[in-house]
Amino acid sequence: MHVPDGFVSPQITLPALAVSAPLWAWAARRHFGRSAADSLPVVGALTAVAFVVQSIMIPLPGGTSTHLLGVTLLALLHGPLVAFVCESLVLVVQALFFGAGGFTVLGVNALAMGLLGPLAGWLVYLAARRLSGRAAAFLAAWVAVQVSSLAVALVLGLQHRLSADYFPTPLPVTLAAMMIPSLAVTGPAEGLYTLFALSVLRRAKIREAL
Amino acid sequence: MRSQSILVLLLAALVPAGARAHEVLHDVDRGRAVAVRVYESDGEVLANAPFEVFSPSAPGAAYLAGRTDRAGWLAFVPDAPGPWRVKVVEATGHGLDTTIDVARSGATTQAGTPAAGSAGFVLRPLLGAAVIAAVFAGLVLLARRRSANR
Repeated sequence: MHVPDGFVSPQITLPALAVSAPLWAWAARRHFGRSAADSLPVVGALTAVAFVVQSIMIPLPGGTSTHLLGVTLLALLHGPLVAFVCESLVLVVQALFFGAGGFTVLGVNALAMGLLGPLAGWLVYLAARRLSGRAAAFLAAWVAVQVSSLAVALVLGLQHRLSADYFPTPLPVTLAAMMIPSLAVTGPAEGLYTLFALSVLRRAKIREAL
Repeated sequence: MRSQSILVLLLAALVPAGARAHEVLHDVDRGRAVAVRVYESDGEVLANAPFEVFSPSAPGAAYLAGRTDRAGWLAFVPDAPGPWRVKVVEATGHGLDTTIDVARSGATTQAGTPAAGSAGFVLRPLLGAAVIAAVFAGLVLLARRRSANR
C-alpha cells in the first residue's frame, strides 16, 4: 500500500513531512515518556507484529498483491497517536534495512497508513463499541484500511495531476486498482486479524485489551 | 535507343539493391543487456507491470518503456556508462524506483536499494521484528532509568 521513493514529488512530500514532524514529537513526548514504561513492552510487541504482517503479501487476481496494516489494533488499544508513531517506526525500518518505501515519502506514508486510517478506525470504534465490541473492532479495522488506501490513492492521483513524470497512472485507474482489493480483501482481512489479535491479548490478560 | 536500353538495364540492376535496403538483419550479442527482476518482499514477482528506463545521458525522457514479462523481468541495453534509473509503477502505487550503475566495461552494480536474497523472504520479517524489539527494549530501559533517578 505504501508509496516508494520517486513516485511523489517534493511538492507533496515536503508538506507531508512538515505536518508529520511536529506530530511525531508531540506523540512521542505524550505517549512514550516515563509514564509509558509499563505499556511499552506490549506496544513494542504489537509494532513488531505489525511489521511482520505488513511483510506478508496477499496475492490478488491480476498479478498484484496487498498487505495488512496491523496498526489499527494499536489505535484501538492505545490511541491513534501511538499507532502513528509505531507505524512510522515500521516504515523507517522498512526503508533503512530493506529499501522498501523510502525516506522522502515517509511523511506521506506515515500520515496515510499511520494516522488517517487508524484515527478513522479509532473514531468508528468509539462510536460503535456500545453496540458490539467485536463488531466495532472489525468495522474499525475495515474502515481504517479503506481510509488509508483512499488517502494513498488520492495522493497518487494528485501527483499525476501535478506531474505525470512521477506517477503516470491517472486517479480513476489508481482508485479502482487500490479500492477494489481494499474493500473486498484487505479490509475484511484486517478486521479478522484485529479480532484474532484482540482475542489473543484478552486470553493473555493484557490489561489494555480487557 | 541504345542509351535508353542501357538506362533501363541499369535501373533494373538497382531494383534488388533497393529491396535489400529494406531487409531487416540482426546481431546476437551476449552479455550486453542489463536484466532486472522486480518482485515483492515475499518473492511474488511483478508480472506485466509498466516500467521506464532513463539513460544518464538524457535523464529527462524515457530511454525505454514497456512492461515486465510474466516472470517479472525487464531488460535494456545501455549505450552509455553511468547511473541508469529504472522505474516500475503499478497502478496500486506499488513499484520501484532504483538506480543501476553501469561501468564503462559494462559491469553493473545496484545503487541504493539493497537486494534481497532468497533467504530474505524469511529473514526479513524476523530481522525487522528484532530491530523494533531492540528499539522498544531501549525505550523501556530509558523510561525505567529515568523513573529510578527521580
